[in-house]
Amino acid sequence: MLMQQLVNGVMIGSVYALTAMGATLIYGILRILDIANAAAYAIGAYLGWYIYSISHNLLLAFLLSMILTGLIGVVIQKYIYYPIISKPNVIPIVPLITSVGLFTITGDLIRLILGPNVKEFGVVFKSGAIKIGKLIINPEWIFIIVLTAVLFAILWFILNKTRLGLAWRATAEDSEIAKAMGVNTNISMALSYILGYGFAASAGIMVGMLYNSISPTMGDIPSYKMLAIIVLGGLGNPVGTVVAGLIIGLAETLVSAYMGSILPRDAIAFIVLIFVLLLKPSGLVSKKSA
Amino acid sequence: MSMLSLVDVEISYGQMEVIKKVSIEVNKGELVSVIGPNGAGKSTLIKAIMGLKDIKSGKIMYDGIDITVMPAWERAGLGIGYVPEGRRVFGNLTVEENLKMGCYKVKDNNKNKNNINKVYELFPRLFERKNQLAKTMSGGEQQMLAIGRALVLEPKLLLIDEVSMGLMPIMVNTCFKIIKDLNDSGITVLVVEQNANKVLKIANRGYVIETGHIVIEDTAENLRSNDVVKKAYLGS
Repeated sequence: MLMQQLVNGVMIGSVYALTAMGATLIYGILRILDIANAAAYAIGAYLGWYIYSISHNLLLAFLLSMILTGLIGVVIQKYIYYPIISKPNVIPIVPLITSVGLFTITGDLIRLILGPNVKEFGVVFKSGAIKIGKLIINPEWIFIIVLTAVLFAILWFILNKTRLGLAWRATAEDSEIAKAMGVNTNISMALSYILGYGFAASAGIMVGMLYNSISPTMGDIPSYKMLAIIVLGGLGNPVGTVVAGLIIGLAETLVSAYMGSILPRDAIAFIVLIFVLLLKPSGLVSKKSA
Repeated sequence: MSMLSLVDVEISYGQMEVIKKVSIEVNKGELVSVIGPNGAGKSTLIKAIMGLKDIKSGKIMYDGIDITVMPAWERAGLGIGYVPEGRRVFGNLTVEENLKMGCYKVKDNNKNKNNINKVYELFPRLFERKNQLAKTMSGGEQQMLAIGRALVLEPKLLLIDEVSMGLMPIMVNTCFKIIKDLNDSGITVLVVEQNANKVLKIANRGYVIETGHIVIEDTAENLRSNDVVKKAYLGS
């Protein structure tokens, strides 16, 4: 049923957009493709799972996990990425490889500390599924869609309505001139990481909730799918990332529903990416038109 | 009274020395120009004063304060305004947002609103387009915005880098007239410029820089009649 698939697609797509938003914000300011966003996704999921298991308060789990993961991001930015990119003549591949290393290390650390086995997330919603005709909507889906919308609204507000957001946008466009205008670009960088890693953490918890499982390797697929989404969204463009996330989510859901398993679900993101880039090389929402 | 002084400043890009022991003095209320050919190090010098390029040795004093190692954003807070080479307005920000960025360091909202309105009076064109994205404007309008963005800070010292570059001749004249007016209103100005002919007509004093060295320093009037300058920069 089409309606059902659309609801599924929008939900998966918004989780994708959340995952990729971190990488987008970070690319916007630091021009680093930070694969370690997928590590933030896994760390966030584990933190959320732990906080939920002791507090049984889902909102608290989200909030605390997002803040903690965001702070981890700031530390990584300040003590790992910043020293690397401030060296003269660093080619962009160096921070990229660093981020792959960070991502790998994080997965292994989680496995060493908490073991390789899958953990159940175990979130129970009191109300049952809502049925509208043949359409079935689970309460956790509503929770995820609403929370994602709230998070994006907060992001939009910060970027477009606050002084900090104005400075962020100016820095993303021309960090040298932003500095000359009085912007402490270290703060813009920290903001990117707090929001970016925080968003990735929330996406990790959502996926953990949805599939009722978290594992040390849960960041593997998002690590590369997120790349497809941010490139599709025009690299460094927050609005483009939301659009691209939704398109990939819908494409995956619809293709697997109506065309069966002619190809692996996770390959669809890249087929969409290649197709769009052939038609519009600057991505869906290019920096110039946003 | 000295507003800005550079003492034996040396700057290098990797192994290459681009500025070699340069000393420059700008007094309060003066309009000083640094002229020289492309690649002589003029923009590098301006960037070093703004804090966008580290210097290897030497000292930069501004209004009695040693700013040699101060980050750029703090220099903006001390009242150094910057009009960069090639305008470099924030294209995806609106005209008004660009001006807000210009006074980012000033926390007093009423004062900022006032100063933004003053810029709109000076450049009515910017007022008409205040909600438009900066990239949609012509080169001349963007140059006005770049100047306006530096003015909303109420700068004590204005650094201007190649204002004439890529502009129509009529716009170039307008820009130089504006710079002269700003200086008359009391702002100290340091201009680096390839268009020696135009800038020496409005400046009080000038320095000629070649391959990283200051080769001549004199009043603008004397520079205009200096044979070397005439031959190399004034095309006569």
